[in-house]
Amino acid sequence: MSTMTTTLSPGTSAPVPAAGGPARRRRFDGTPLVLLLPSLIMLAVFIGWPLVQLVIMSFQKYGREQIFGAPADFIGIHNYVRVLGDSEFWLVLARSIGLCVVSVAATMVLGVGIALMMRSLGKVMRTVVSIGLLLAWAMPALTATIVWGWIFDTDYGLVNYFLTQVTGEDWMGHSWLSDPLSFFSVAAIIITWGAIPFVSFSTYAALTQVPDEVIEASSLDGANVWQRLRLIVFPYVRSILIVLLILQIIWDLRVFAQIYALQTIGGVRADTNTIGVYIYSVSMATGDLGSGGAIAVILVLILLAISAYYIRTMLKTEDEL
Amino acid sequence: MNKKLGAIALFGASAVVLAGCSGGGAPTPTDANTPEPAELRVWLVGTDTPKDARDYLIKTFADENPGSKIVIEEQQWTGLVDKLTTSLSSNDSPDIVEMGNTQAAAFTSAGALLDLTDIKEELGGSDLLDGFVEAGSWDEKLYAAPYYSGARVVFYNTAQYEDAGVKVPTTLDEYVSNGVALADALDGVSGVYFPGKDWYNALPFIWENGGQVAVKNSDGTWDAQFSSAGSIAGITQVQELMTKASLAAKDGDETEAWVPFRTEKAATLSAPSWAYWSIVADEDKQDTALTDSLGYFALPGKDGGAAQVFAGGSNIGVAAKSAHPELAKSALKIILSDEYQTILAENGLVPAKKSLGSKVAAATPELAAVIADAAANAKLTPASPKWADVEAKGLLQDFFVKVANGGDVASLAAELDTQIESILNG
Repeated sequence: MSTMTTTLSPGTSAPVPAAGGPARRRRFDGTPLVLLLPSLIMLAVFIGWPLVQLVIMSFQKYGREQIFGAPADFIGIHNYVRVLGDSEFWLVLARSIGLCVVSVAATMVLGVGIALMMRSLGKVMRTVVSIGLLLAWAMPALTATIVWGWIFDTDYGLVNYFLTQVTGEDWMGHSWLSDPLSFFSVAAIIITWGAIPFVSFSTYAALTQVPDEVIEASSLDGANVWQRLRLIVFPYVRSILIVLLILQIIWDLRVFAQIYALQTIGGVRADTNTIGVYIYSVSMATGDLGSGGAIAVILVLILLAISAYYIRTMLKTEDEL
Repeated sequence: MNKKLGAIALFGASAVVLAGCSGGGAPTPTDANTPEPAELRVWLVGTDTPKDARDYLIKTFADENPGSKIVIEEQQWTGLVDKLTTSLSSNDSPDIVEMGNTQAAAFTSAGALLDLTDIKEELGGSDLLDGFVEAGSWDEKLYAAPYYSGARVVFYNTAQYEDAGVKVPTTLDEYVSNGVALADALDGVSGVYFPGKDWYNALPFIWENGGQVAVKNSDGTWDAQFSSAGSIAGITQVQELMTKASLAAKDGDETEAWVPFRTEKAATLSAPSWAYWSIVADEDKQDTALTDSLGYFALPGKDGGAAQVFAGGSNIGVAAKSAHPELAKSALKIILSDEYQTILAENGLVPAKKSLGSKVAAATPELAAVIADAAANAKLTPASPKWADVEAKGLLQDFFVKVANGGDVASLAAELDTQIESILNG
């Protein structure tokens, strides 16, 4: 998914100081530093610099005039005060967290389920499932959303057509996006659909690390399927599942493409904004980059808090090895 | 040693990259007297500009400026303000941009466009449409020239009107009651196709009932008027049409509205005049059910005559960051030339020059007359640079979707007024 490539940034940028630390201590040999330089420079240019700009902007009065070259005035924490005092921000944040929780839960359950299923499938079916997952994975989020939009189309959609055929009632003309709850159900389906392949493949790879003899031994000891899963398999893949879970939370919390594209198809914009779309709307549509920047910085802080745990888990796993 | 050299080279290279990035904000020099041959990027929005006009522009420009050429990049109306904001401020800015007349103020006031005052006379001077010159000016300087104006025309299916025993309405009230009557008489057909996000078509109802979008107070602040008695009466009529006469998606928009119309799923459609071509022929240039049964009229006013409709249209300007301002200006002169504007007129658009008004030909003389009627009574949205923000935030679309879903007009309108005022006065 396209979200993948962009969303990797919080994860990858964060470990840099940790890696740079030891390198500095061993200055007598500059080779590691030189080897690291290209990636450090890339990170500094593509992530560091925009981030610095963003933070600076969030303390400025930054509107359309400033985009086109007018000098920007520093106004202290005014933007933050305004954003945090705005009830719409809290509403949007709550909505994003709600959507995130549902999508992540669905993604993890279905993703791990499919991984377990793939383990017990025969070779042919496993290949078919893998290809299916890969195709879903390769589909850009925007394209996927447009196609899902057609499936849920009010006048010509497949879903309405099938419901009409199956229930015998007339579903044609039913709008799936106009009610916010229904809108987010569709959004959750699209997000989950796009995220499952990553979770499935990663979990499937992790499952191959579970030694067969342990499982065999446990089943000889009389453990049933559920007990084997809970007591043998999960402890083996636990750290990977946690990393997957945290990555999913980060990605789903800042989801943009799916929601933005769905809003152009239908629904009421103001009632369906999530934090990613809200930042864009405040910054670009309303032309208030200062406030937009402040919201973005707040989101970065929230995501940092979540990824701090992710990095700690990752480092701990490394220590164990 | 080699390694060190490599490291230094890497350092140098990255320094160049970094310098290139940080220096990007500086404006490009614009002092070239004789423009160098270059490729000019022109952003036209939507399918409004006919193919003949595009071809004429490309060919004439290439003839007048040997070695240079124009590339037309078609943009979407949806999300245009966002896209212009990002692209006009980037180093990859297009050279010439079209924008909606109601959106122009956001860019003229921000310094996103090049001052065109010095070539205003060559572009047409006082012959240019006044309302559009005003929309494209800031601080008495012209930044975005008028491009064209479009008028909304009501198309109807003569066969379906006959079936339902309905005649062409002479007043706005009759237009509403006809719509409901048509929907009742014809099963599965919209009397009037009116999707919830189509706010352009909703404005005339407000104006005809004596309402306004917003008025300016004596102290310069704006007072939004959707909750005034006149506006409420108009919005209530809109709600009646949307809920009782229209089967269009309540949260749908008006793009491609001609598809349900030409497939006889809707008996009436109010759309820009150039929609004619999409109604009488489908994507494959085949005749449609409407080819022989298409009628049109100007939306009737409350007391008869033509209603005050929304003066849709476009302004066109040169990006302040354009690397080839002189070439861009010469291209703009072609776009505002009598020849180019005549092509627009012949395709049913109202040209940017008043002297060419009589050239509006459209497909039939009757349609041309209807367009002229509608254009004569056209009205604009509030002249505030912040109005574009109201549009970009989709406030009016959200509002009319809620109206289409049967929401309480009075309380929704009061809420909308508060939101609009906070943007216009913010």
